[in-house]
Order: sequence, then C-alpha cells, then structure tokens
Amino acid sequence: MKPAPFDYRAPASVEETLPLLELDTAVLAGGQSLVPLLNLRLARPEVVVDINGLAELDYLRADGGPLRIGAMTRQVTLERSEPVRRGWPLLHKAVRLVGHRQIRSRGTVGGSVAHADPAAELPAALLALDATLHMRSTGGARRVAASEFFLGPLYTAREPDELLVEIEVPGQPDGAGAGFAEYARTHGDFATAGAAAVVGPGGHAGIALFGAGPVPVRSEAADQALASGAGAREAAELAAREVEGEHRRALCTELARRAIEEAMA
Amino acid sequence: MGTEAGLSAGRLVGRPVRRREDDRILRGGTRYLDDIDLPGAAHVAFVRSPFAHARIGGIEVPDGIAAITAADLDVSDLPVQGIEGGEVSADGHPVLAGDEVRYAGQPVAMVLAESRALAEDAAELVEVDYEPLDPVLDARRSDVTMSRWHRVSGDVEGAFESAAHVVRASHSLPRLAPVPMEPRGAIASFDAAEDLLTVWVSAQDSHRQLAGLARVLGRPEDSIHVIVPDVGGAFGSKGAPAPETMAVAAAALATGRPLKWAEDREENFVASYQGRGMEAEVELAFDGDGRILAVRARIWADLGGYLMPTTAIPTHTTAMLMCGVYDVQTADVQVHGRRTNKVPTGPYRGAGRPEAAYFLECTVDVAARELGIDPLELRRRNLIRELPYKTALGWTYDSGDYARCLDLAEELVRPERGGDAERVVGTGFGMYVERAGGQFETAEAELLRDGRVLVRSGSSPHGQGHDTTFAQLAADRLGVTLEDVELRFGDSKEVPRGVGTFASRSVAMGGSAVIQAVDALKEKIEAVAAGRGLREVAARHAGLRAAARFESDLVFSSGAYGAVVEIERSTGRLTVLRLVAVDDAGTIVNPLLAEGQVIGGTAQGLGQCLVEEAAYDDEGNPTFASFVGYSLLTAAEMPGVIAEFVETASPLNPLGAKGIGEAGAIGTPAAVANAVADALGGAGVDPPFTAEKLWRALG
Amino acid sequence: MEINGRPYEGDVEPRTLLSDFIRHGAGLTGTKVGCEQGVCGACTVQLDGEPVRSCLMLAIQANGRSLRTVEGLAADGELHPLQRAFHEAHALQCGFCTPGFLMSMEAVLRADPDAGEAELREALAGNLCRCTGYLGIVEAVQHAAREMREGS
Repeated sequence: MKPAPFDYRAPASVEETLPLLELDTAVLAGGQSLVPLLNLRLARPEVVVDINGLAELDYLRADGGPLRIGAMTRQVTLERSEPVRRGWPLLHKAVRLVGHRQIRSRGTVGGSVAHADPAAELPAALLALDATLHMRSTGGARRVAASEFFLGPLYTAREPDELLVEIEVPGQPDGAGAGFAEYARTHGDFATAGAAAVVGPGGHAGIALFGAGPVPVRSEAADQALASGAGAREAAELAAREVEGEHRRALCTELARRAIEEAMA
Repeated sequence: MGTEAGLSAGRLVGRPVRRREDDRILRGGTRYLDDIDLPGAAHVAFVRSPFAHARIGGIEVPDGIAAITAADLDVSDLPVQGIEGGEVSADGHPVLAGDEVRYAGQPVAMVLAESRALAEDAAELVEVDYEPLDPVLDARRSDVTMSRWHRVSGDVEGAFESAAHVVRASHSLPRLAPVPMEPRGAIASFDAAEDLLTVWVSAQDSHRQLAGLARVLGRPEDSIHVIVPDVGGAFGSKGAPAPETMAVAAAALATGRPLKWAEDREENFVASYQGRGMEAEVELAFDGDGRILAVRARIWADLGGYLMPTTAIPTHTTAMLMCGVYDVQTADVQVHGRRTNKVPTGPYRGAGRPEAAYFLECTVDVAARELGIDPLELRRRNLIRELPYKTALGWTYDSGDYARCLDLAEELVRPERGGDAERVVGTGFGMYVERAGGQFETAEAELLRDGRVLVRSGSSPHGQGHDTTFAQLAADRLGVTLEDVELRFGDSKEVPRGVGTFASRSVAMGGSAVIQAVDALKEKIEAVAAGRGLREVAARHAGLRAAARFESDLVFSSGAYGAVVEIERSTGRLTVLRLVAVDDAGTIVNPLLAEGQVIGGTAQGLGQCLVEEAAYDDEGNPTFASFVGYSLLTAAEMPGVIAEFVETASPLNPLGAKGIGEAGAIGTPAAVANAVADALGGAGVDPPFTAEKLWRALG
Repeated sequence: MEINGRPYEGDVEPRTLLSDFIRHGAGLTGTKVGCEQGVCGACTVQLDGEPVRSCLMLAIQANGRSLRTVEGLAADGELHPLQRAFHEAHALQCGFCTPGFLMSMEAVLRADPDAGEAELREALAGNLCRCTGYLGIVEAVQHAAREMREGS
C-alpha cells in the first residue's frame, strides 16, 4: 500500500515548525506509528511536517531534579541511558518492551506519547510516574499532567496546532522500586495488556494499567492501598477493578500483581 | 522394491549437504517477482469489493483513468477441478466480477498507471454501484453446497448398534491465512509480432499457470510462455492461478502494454485463498476391548464465495483419511462444502490432512478418557500393523511402521502431566497418515559440452532446496560431483511439461523422474563412451539427452507427534514445553533439508494452535487485513523441536521416498490439542488456544 | 544518499518510501518488502549502523545519510560470519526474509556479541519467517555470535 499524496515540510527549528501545525497536518517524528497509517491510507494529511531536523528536541537532562526528555529523543536512546536506568528504572523497563529494536531505532518518546495507543508502554509508565507533558504553539506554551493528557484511543489533549516538546518526569525518592509486566499474544504483537508500578518509601506509589481500556489507567485506590501497607495482590485487585471483560480483568490483575511485586522487591 | 543398490549408500544421497542456492540469497542476489522491472510496464492496482455480498449495478470510470472491467475482457471463469467420487458445482471464480461480488476483497476492476502509488490513487476514483446483500457467513447454515462427497463401507449401522461404546466429539478448525513472506504477483507482456504472451508469476510451478492461462484466455498453450522467478514461499497459496494473474494477462493482451501487479500485504491477507475452515462431528464405535468397530464422520467445509480450481480438493482429502492409521474397514464419511461470503479456501500446507488428523486424533483421545484406557494403549490396540493396507475409504497405504513411530514419539517427548496452584501440564499425541506424490513428473537430462549435465525438472522450488536435493540424486547416479550438475526449473519453455510442486511430491515424483532421466542419459553415454570419461565424451557428444516421465500412485507418509504443554492458571497463557516430530517419509535424501521442512511445518502447526485465525466480523469484513489482525509466531515463541525420521521405503518409486514437506503442519495441531485437553482434564477447546479460552476452561 | 559506500541520487515524491527508493530507484533489490507496516522486518536496512524499517521511512528522510543493505554485508566479497552461519545451519529456505534478518542481527550482534539465547530470540522477534520455523536461525545467530566473540 502506498500513501496518498501529501506536501512535505522539514523545518529546522521549533520556531519554524509551529506556524505549520494545523488540522490537516501530521507531525512526522519517528514514523513508526504514522507511516503505517499513511501506507494504509488511514491517515491522509495534506501536509506532513517532518520534525527529525529538530535536534534541539533531542536531549535527556537529569541534573539532579526532574528528568527532562526532549520529545525527539529516540526510544533506543532512552533505553541505553545509564542515568535513566538508575534514576527512573520504570522508564527503562518500559521502553525496552516497545516494539522491536528496529522500531526503537527510529521511534521517539514524544511520538509514542502523542500517538497514545491504548496498548502502548510509555504512556502508562509516564502516568505511573506523574509525568508532565510540555507543549508549544504559536499561541504560547502549555503543560498538561499525564493524568489529564490521554483522552481516548489515539486521542490526547494536544491540539492540532500544538507541538509536544518535552516530557518532564519528577525525580524518584531514594529506594523507590519499579516493576513492569505485560502480556502479548506473541513477541511481535502489540501488548494485550500491561502494568507499570513504582513503589517507594513514605507512601510513594503509582500503578498504571494499559490495554485495559481506551486510555492508560491509574487507580488512586490502588495507590492509596499500597501506600498504607496493603499487599501486592490486594492493590492489584483494586487497580484492575474497573477493567471490563472477565479475562481482561484477570489478566490486568495478574500483571499488576507482578509489577507491584517487582517494584517492592 | 525399496532403494536400489548404491542409492542408500550414496556419497551424497542421505547426507546433510548444505544448499547451493544459499550464496545468491545471502548476498541479496535473488529476483522475486517485484524485483523484476520491465521497461515500459504500467502498474496495476485492483478495485476490490468492500462488501461481502453485493450486486453490481454499474462501474463508472472518470476520464483520464485507465481502468479495465469484466466487460472489457474476453475470458472465461477460472476452471474448477473435480474430486474423485464426488461432485462439485459450476461456481468457478470469475476473473473480474460481473454483476455480483461474493466476498470482501474480490477484484472488481483493475486500474493501470505509471506507478503503483498512482494506480492506487486512480483506483479510489473508480465508482462502483454496489447494492449490498446479506452475507452468509456460517457454512453449516449456508444452503448452497458447492462440493459433496459421501462413502459408506461395510455395515456401519450394525456396528454402531452393536457397539459396547459409542464416542462422539465435535471439532471446529477456523480458517487460516497462508501468509508467505512474499505476496503474490504477476507481470505480463504481449509480443504481437510473435503472438507470444509472456507471463512472469510468483507461483508453485509453471504448468498449472500455463494450463489455466490457456484455458481462461482461450489461447493455445504454445503461444504462452510462463516464467517462474525466485518465489518467496507459497504453502499452497500460489498453486492455482490467481484471478488477478488472469486479469493482468488478459489486460496485457487487450492493451498491448506490459503490465505489472505486485500484491501488497493487505491484498494478500484479504484475497489470497485460505486454508482449513472445517467443522466435523465424529463418532467412533468400540467393542468391549477398545477396538474401533466403525468410524462415522460428517464434515462441513467453509469454501467461500467461489470454487477456485483446487478449492474442493482438501475436503476430499480430509474425508479419505478419516480412518487414519487405524485398522477399521467399516466407515461412513461425508463432507459438504458450503458456499459463504468469504474469500475462497484452497490447499494450504497440509491441505486436508491436518484436518483429518485433528478430527480423528482428538476424538480418539476423547474415547480414551471415556473408556478409561490410556490414549497410547488405545491407539496401539487399533494401529494398522501390516502394510500395504487398503483402506475402507478407497486409498491404499503403501508402506509404514506406525507402531514404531508412536513408540519413538512417546520415548522422546517424556510425557508429563499434573500441576500446581500456578500451572497445569498435559501431554498429548497425534498420529497421521498423509497422501503424497501421485500423478506423474518429468525430467530431461542433457550432456553439456564442458562435461557437466543439465537437468531440467518439472518440479519447481519455492524454498525447499530442490536445486541441491536433485543435484545430489543426479550426481550420485552419474558418479560426479555436485558442481557437475546444473538444474533448471520454472520456465515453461525450458523445462518439460510436468505436474508441479504441491502435495509433498517433489522428491518422490520429481526426484524419481530426475533419476530415471539421468539413468537413461547414462545409458546413452555408455553406448558411445568406449571407456572414455564424461568430459571426453562431452567434447564429441554434447547435446546427448534423455527424457523421463515417472508415474506413480499416491504414496503415504505417516508419523506420530507428541507435545507437552503448560497452561498458566492466572492468565490462561499456553506454552509448549516440548514438541516431538517422528515422521516416516521413506528414504530421506537430505536430512538437513528434510528437518528444515518439518520444523517449518511445526511452526505453522503451532501457529494454528496458538494464535492464527482468519476471522470475519458479522458483516463479512475481514478482521485480518494486516499483521495487527493476524498474528504469526516469532522466534521467541518456538519451543525446541525434536525431529526424528523413521524410514520405511515406499515400494512405489526408485528412491523409496514419500513426502516430508507438510508433515509438521499435519501432526502438530492434533498433538498440541490433545496435550491441551489433557491439561484441562478433558475440556474440549477449539484452536486457536487463546489465553482467554484456556482461562475460562480452567474456571 | 550513500548506500554501501556508494552515492545514489534521484528525484522522488515526498510519499516515496525509502524501501521503494532503495529497490527501484537505486536498483538494490536485495532488500525486500513484506508488509509496509513495520511488522515483518523484511525491509530492514541499517541507517548509520542502526537497524531500521525502510518501509517506515520516507526516501526523502534519508537524504544525505548513510545506509547499508544486504548487498554491502559481505566485505570484499567475503561472506560475513553471520551469512556463513546461516548457510551452515540451514537458516534459510525461500530466502525472502533472509536479508532482513541479516541486517537486523548484524547490528544486534555488533552491539552485544555476548547476548544469550533468550535475548537473541527476543531480538529475532522483530523479523518474521514463514518457512524455517526459526530454530535454524537461532542456531545460526548463536554460532555467529560465538565466532564474533572469539574475534575472527
């Protein structure tokens, strides 16, 4: 299948990019989600804005506070980063499971977030980590918490004229553990469901499920249970309580339990 | 007679010779259909029906778009092959749809443009006036039968009435997509001056393409030249000529322009004929000692909207094998092939044999549980022990040692069952007998000036390694090295007219023809050699040649597969811990390649069990139009497989060979299904054995 | 762009996929196309040494970049240890998926020659094969890894 015709722009800076963004434009970052849609003619933008030239968005900064991930950071870069592995192990565990090596060579962190596939690993991990998404448009800058960013399958709070520029992840408390578990029919498939968990001292807890519904889900009840000393099984059951479908709920419960246990270990 | 003197002790035959084909492949030097660019060729895209069933009111083509519809072509529908002892209807597949479409994805019109992308753009602008009709999607409820076969042998009623036990079981095998890594394609070019139509096609052989083209286009066969380039897998799906191939050829004739159609993956999923899609109700009558008195089976096959040339064949094969490896002479088997509004089904690796093995072997295990007899013991009480054996259903099994295969499978799989709070483990076996070979095959051998021998074969490889295997046979016969033998395949003007590659026939039939041609050439060489070597003889007698046509009845491979599986209680996830394949394909010419065929087949059998299902939604839309909707196993899912060969030589060909190409796909599903049922304590589940199904079955 | 050390150029539409440019623009048909969805891996090439799906890149995105395809794997005509290992282990049948596997795994082994079987199988999951059933491929990759570790 070949894409329908489109115009192509390759801006060299964020400033050059912003005026180009509107309803009929598609932003081309890693291309691992967009190009399949173009090839199937399921996406038919008039203009494709290729932001691979925006080197200014390719960075990982961990200066002792939050982790700042430039939207154009390749997934493989996140995977290979030592500071990320040490300071935000949940991200490391999540990104290693994204697609395949060849996908991660090109796919970007920002792209995965903006695409918002309900079965994607990174949105769930970022939700569990209380990340904040930073966007810019010709009208200014905006920040949205991860908990308010994912609105539906492939649908986020990003307006068509906004560019996701940075993902900010708060620093994790010392001694916080991370766990990640997913289930897929085969290693080539998208995940059917999965769970991301952080558990730390002082009641720090965050459990997010993906593949459990139209958006990644964080359960306050589960977080609170964990924070007040509940076991992994109980917290997992709370986390998956609202999942529809008996088997899917059982699957999510089991994956959440594994992720929480890994985080507690 | 089994193997001739010198064959089994051959220098090359029986050895795991590495393939000569590999170097070119590894360096990127292959030329599959889409790698061929014919200068001046236009590119083709098809307008395909979005509806499962509809009448076509009219087709409007905007100005500036070059489109071809059925009205522009003077062609007949694709032919339909009959089944022995049965009936098929006259529902041949039209080249392009006339006033009706019967499946989503059916080609309705073709558009020509300077590039594939432009052709796809143009195809979107063609307006087809569809009047949607209600689709029929359930084969058992369809009231249109397109194929039928029924055979009764012995006093079946009496056997069931007097039986100590009657066991009944129902099974359902969903449709599968063959998914060769290379989709289909064809290039056609017409030379009006020579009145010669040349067609390159990704196909299993040139012969069936040629015969089909001649018939559908209404042209004499010698006015058509078919060339089969490198082929990236087929598994049965590139055997019968595709309607699209016919359309491309006919359009090349009509327009005088060379045309290229390279199918994309979406088309391949949606429009390439599918495999399996059968349901069965099986009944076994037993005496008090667990001996099978009679087999009764009713099979319904979901054939799709039309009969492709070979659609009915798997149904016939399944029916003929419903007594399997068991000594039973009383049987009543009928199969009904029903029309549905889906893409047609046809031969797909195993082509009826996996279905028969599955339906029968799963029922045998149900019987074992109901009768309280160990499943292996129950089998042993009923195995055919003396061969050749004439079956109740008509075929004669030529050779085999079923008991030995079963013993070996049991020993190698190390049966295990049980479980704990977290997992449950089960073991299962599946035996099969399958028909291979048959009809005839051809070969020609020619002495070249440099002393090498050129062998032209009617067989046609698409990954099996014929170039190496046949060279081994010829080299041993001639007493030369592999390098001194050259093989030629796949070009209708270069190879003798033959039958082709399917039904695991290449070594038994193609290999035997090669041996006969080479032997005949050897005789001619010896007649003029007067003690001189090949090179000297060649200098004088280059061009010396001999032809062979080897004919044979069907040969019957057999085997026993064993599987140990584990089901995780919390998720229902199925893991195959061990898989053993014991196959009797007679003489094995190249054990390395034979094992490769078995492993490849088991991967497809496992795919059928674990993840594969070509399902349509309630409106008849395919849910499998991409890899998102249809899963294939990856390297990460493959268990270790122990493959062993038992070699009972067939008396029906000089090699003693049977067939190995499909065995893995035939034996695996039955063994895994029985292992799953064992783990579930008897609950019957149909494949694919998804986590959800198993989780529910475990309660 | 540069492919296997040689320059190639051409005029393309923005929508022309890199896989199509490599195959029909540059005439290097060793790279195959199996799905145009990024799943099967047959189109895998290396971009600055990293394995990528050429069907998921626009040709225009490779402008000025350096690519390696299967035709460039054998150095001075001599087969790479991975190619030799595939041949030895009968890790190919129809061969359609083979270039994609070679380009994927050469990159994986180069980055991590110590990868164990489980890691290798996971890495291999990014390429589909319908013929071999993978076991020969797993064997070939392990063998090549050993050879590359032992520094030949």
